[in-house]
Amino acid sequence: MKNATQVFLRRLPMTLIAAIVIWLLVRPVIDSAVAGLAQTLIRSFEYPRVTRLVIEDHRAQIRRTDLRTDSTVRSVSMTEVTFNTIVLLALYLALPRPFSRRQLERLFMGWCVLCLSQSINLLFHVKTLYATGLGEWSQHNYSDLARNVFGFGRYFTDLPGRFSFPFLIWLGFNWDVIMKMLRVSGDEDTKQKTGSKQKKKSVKG
Amino acid sequence: MNVRELWQKPEARFLILFLAILGVSFTVVALRQVNDVFVTPYTAVIARMSGFILRVFGEEATVSGCVVSSPRFAVTIYNGCNGLITSLIFISGVLAFPAKISAKLIGVIGGLLAIQLINLVRIVSLFYIGVLLPQHFDDAHIFIWQSLVIIAGISLWILWAHKFALPQESS
Repeated sequence: MKNATQVFLRRLPMTLIAAIVIWLLVRPVIDSAVAGLAQTLIRSFEYPRVTRLVIEDHRAQIRRTDLRTDSTVRSVSMTEVTFNTIVLLALYLALPRPFSRRQLERLFMGWCVLCLSQSINLLFHVKTLYATGLGEWSQHNYSDLARNVFGFGRYFTDLPGRFSFPFLIWLGFNWDVIMKMLRVSGDEDTKQKTGSKQKKKSVKG
Repeated sequence: MNVRELWQKPEARFLILFLAILGVSFTVVALRQVNDVFVTPYTAVIARMSGFILRVFGEEATVSGCVVSSPRFAVTIYNGCNGLITSLIFISGVLAFPAKISAKLIGVIGGLLAIQLINLVRIVSLFYIGVLLPQHFDDAHIFIWQSLVIIAGISLWILWAHKFALPQESS
């Protein structure tokens, strides 16, 4: 196994622990940011604007100002929505020179994209609840097409999205670094072999 | 930039293929018929294997469908806990990456076995966390083991790309 890949794989368990600690520390900020963006997106397509997402005990409570105050408040676990931040952080930190300006910029961009995907996931949870979970009100206000679209969106941004987005974002933003890391040993070997052949030739010459 | 230029970029080609394979595979497993014929029986097999391992460890574990239970604790294995999602992501990564068919075959078979092994360790460990530290079960289940399983899948993909895919491509 080549050096860079070996170093990366050795670093991963440590960076995973570091990522869990960082996520636990910044979790309230992430929860608020993701729920805030999701609320903005939901209200952008809503008239009148009645949806409010309130974070309480790491759950996003879905409140509507047009419902009675004694109505049951549904909620979505923010832990399940945002836990994949751990994976993105662990992967970034395990790459070579993670605190260089370039890598920090990439981490920031990647994290923003991940937050957007988490907000869209939360949006689909809320819209699926509206479209399918509120009995006659859902039947009256949402069409079958809307129910299918929101259900489909929720399904794809749930497990497939949560599991694959960190990997895709990490790979997309760091393709050059990752490919270099994977090939480094091969290139080095080739260079070393050609280098030694040239040396032998020059000695013979 | 037109589509042909985009397709010639290896990272764009990989990401497009990866998303396409992932999208198709997740659509297929979401179909009710596929769920009834494949996903539920597959999850039941995982439950039976977990029950067998727990009995080897001395637990009085019984399995009913996708539920593994003992007098001390019970776990239900849902779709997200059967290793299928991670396996599909890993397979999509292997199939989308430029490599020979033989390398991809090795990746798919070896990766599936390794991911299922890791998933069995996960289920058994979660059972014991439920028995010994029930207050930490949710944390262990959601963000520790899910992150671990994803990281394990990505590590396997990197190992595969490094050992089997790239040397053949460069030659």
